[in-house]
Amino acid sequence: MKETPLSNCEKRFLLRAIEERKRLDGRQSYDYRNVRVSFGTDYGCCVVELGKTRVLGQVSCELVAPKPNRATEGILFFNLELSPMASPAFELGRQSELLVKLNRLLERCLRNSKCIDTESLCVVAGEKVWQIRVDLHLLNHDGNIIDAASIAAIVALCHFRRPDISVQGEEITVYTPEERDPVPLSIHHMPICVSFAFFKQGTYLLVDPSEREERVMDGLLVIAMNKHHEICTIQSSGGIMLLKDQVLRCSKITGVKVAEITELIQKALENDRKVRKEGGKCGFAESIPNQKITAFKMERAPVDANDVEEQAEEIIMKADPPLDVFAKPILWTPGTAQIGEGVENSWGELEESERGEEEDDDNDPDTLEDPKMEMEDVSIVSKTKKDDTIVLSDSEEEEVVILKPEKVPKKTRTPTSSKQENSSKKVSNKKRKKKRVSY
Amino acid sequence: MAAMEVRLPVARKLVGQDLARGSGRDLVAPGDTITTDTGYMRGHGTYMGEEKLVASVAGAVERVNKLICVKALKTRYNGEVGDIVVGRITEVQQKRWKVETNSRLDSVLLLSSMNLPGGELRRRSAEDELAMRDYLQEGDLISAEVQSVFSDGAVSLHTRSLKYGKLGQGVLVQVSPSLVKRQKTHFHDLPCGASVILGNNGFIWIYPTPEQKDEEAGGFITNLEPVSLGDREVISRLRNCIMALVTQKLMLYDTSILYCYEASLSHQIKDILKPEVMEEIVLETRQRLLELEG
Repeated sequence: MKETPLSNCEKRFLLRAIEERKRLDGRQSYDYRNVRVSFGTDYGCCVVELGKTRVLGQVSCELVAPKPNRATEGILFFNLELSPMASPAFELGRQSELLVKLNRLLERCLRNSKCIDTESLCVVAGEKVWQIRVDLHLLNHDGNIIDAASIAAIVALCHFRRPDISVQGEEITVYTPEERDPVPLSIHHMPICVSFAFFKQGTYLLVDPSEREERVMDGLLVIAMNKHHEICTIQSSGGIMLLKDQVLRCSKITGVKVAEITELIQKALENDRKVRKEGGKCGFAESIPNQKITAFKMERAPVDANDVEEQAEEIIMKADPPLDVFAKPILWTPGTAQIGEGVENSWGELEESERGEEEDDDNDPDTLEDPKMEMEDVSIVSKTKKDDTIVLSDSEEEEVVILKPEKVPKKTRTPTSSKQENSSKKVSNKKRKKKRVSY
Repeated sequence: MAAMEVRLPVARKLVGQDLARGSGRDLVAPGDTITTDTGYMRGHGTYMGEEKLVASVAGAVERVNKLICVKALKTRYNGEVGDIVVGRITEVQQKRWKVETNSRLDSVLLLSSMNLPGGELRRRSAEDELAMRDYLQEGDLISAEVQSVFSDGAVSLHTRSLKYGKLGQGVLVQVSPSLVKRQKTHFHDLPCGASVILGNNGFIWIYPTPEQKDEEAGGFITNLEPVSLGDREVISRLRNCIMALVTQKLMLYDTSILYCYEASLSHQIKDILKPEVMEEIVLETRQRLLELEG
């Protein structure tokens, strides 16, 4: 299915926000989204979440004959799939440009950097080697697939255990996991990709673009680096012209980010190893139930509540003072007193439904009543008294007022401020005896 | 605002199932048997499977004499000749524009189907072709009428009247095409102070009523003067009302939108999007519409 095109307003809004150094989710220009790594029960299975982008990685191995020109090296095979589950724009079975680009980048990052020792994957030179296959599936696309995919790939490879084997002459014995513990792969270093999105011909730069930002970006720069500050791959796409100091600055940022992410990965691997050693429960069943909507648990949303007090005080100062309360009760007899005068009986006339009143309680408690508005209400009320048609229904709720259309334009043209509208409702809440206007 | 509103998720009770509805309306899901009687002709949304008529989409069954079809609730727009659509230009090609209209294939607007500024009628020359981008670019919104439908279902549009053309400032609401009622006219000037175009493809355009009808423009000059706050409030309120009607699955036409607008005046514009407020105002709208029918 073709992607719905972004409207001009949205594009302009995003670009203007970026010019003012603001991002839609409140991050700073160089901030990454939250990275979460969770493991499955099998070795080599993991899910990486970068914000809302989710990638599932699975590693498997097989004994095959080696390539003829590389008789003593194992074979590494990477495959990234964009399933329609990730985004309606992805179609099953179609080789899109994006897919080819991502696959090539992943291969260059992981294979050419020699992060996995392929010599150690050799069993019998020229005859049998291990073929390690890394399958990555994109589960949800919210921008920056390449970063999430590279993290998933390297985490899955670090987590994976291959069966132990012994070679006696011509015989190869492959031990099952019950007979001998499976052996981890030998990994030299962990290359991680970091993406930079450029806007307005390279003037503005954002790290870890989200899906909306990717749609309006001019170009993308991807740098793959490990924690020893060695650059494994660097690719610039989109046809933007980058200056030398921009690229150097990006590489410095990459160094910082990669160090953070590597630490996070190490911690996650360590935790998982501990849990498995103690025989505790591991796997997706443990981590996923926490994401139910009825769990009443959410990620911390960054809300700026620093100046709440000052704003509240400002509002209180600017608002009009509350109505005078009649503090003098008139005592008729011991036990019976009257406060205030009240208005005439409004039973038998039309009133708004109960529901309308309940929501008013949810309203902003900071707004205060406006005495002037009350006077207006009363005058208009008297005009609409007897002309309305009365509709009787069997429902438990009170009747609904039906107004003639001519009366409406008078009210709608006057610009109503939110305070006045609120106050009319607040008035109706607090003084039920008075007839309310159902505007 | 300093005070923040926090809402907790809770299972919502369904409102008023007892409201007077067309009695005997059958709702089917894909795979449901409609009838085992073989005397019926099968229309859209059905297929013949093992001696019985089976529905292939989720919707309401409609029967006209011997023809049975299923009208789906949520669907892509299927073009009919004479429909008014609101679309967005996605590509500028040689002698034509590709327009996105929420259908299975992109619609086509030929250069010869577009009225030139000033309303002149002449053969389109090579200069016109080169100047296509001056008229309509990628991302522009237009209102047009369906001229014809190709065999593969793609729709060919035309803007040969002065009331069609590029749209200026306003708000676009995208809904399912099955919710827009077919009427004589889809251009309405609502008495509350805004105008609305109800596209048959589910794209609804709300815009401030223009002061005078300028016949010269022919729909190309977009009015970029700032819109007043009062007009903007009316337009925002209309948009929220339309969203409320869509959530409660009410048919959209000028009367229902107007009644919903009037019912919503007692609430703040942003409160209309709360589920309980939506239910309340749509309930009121439904009652008024039922009275209107008598």
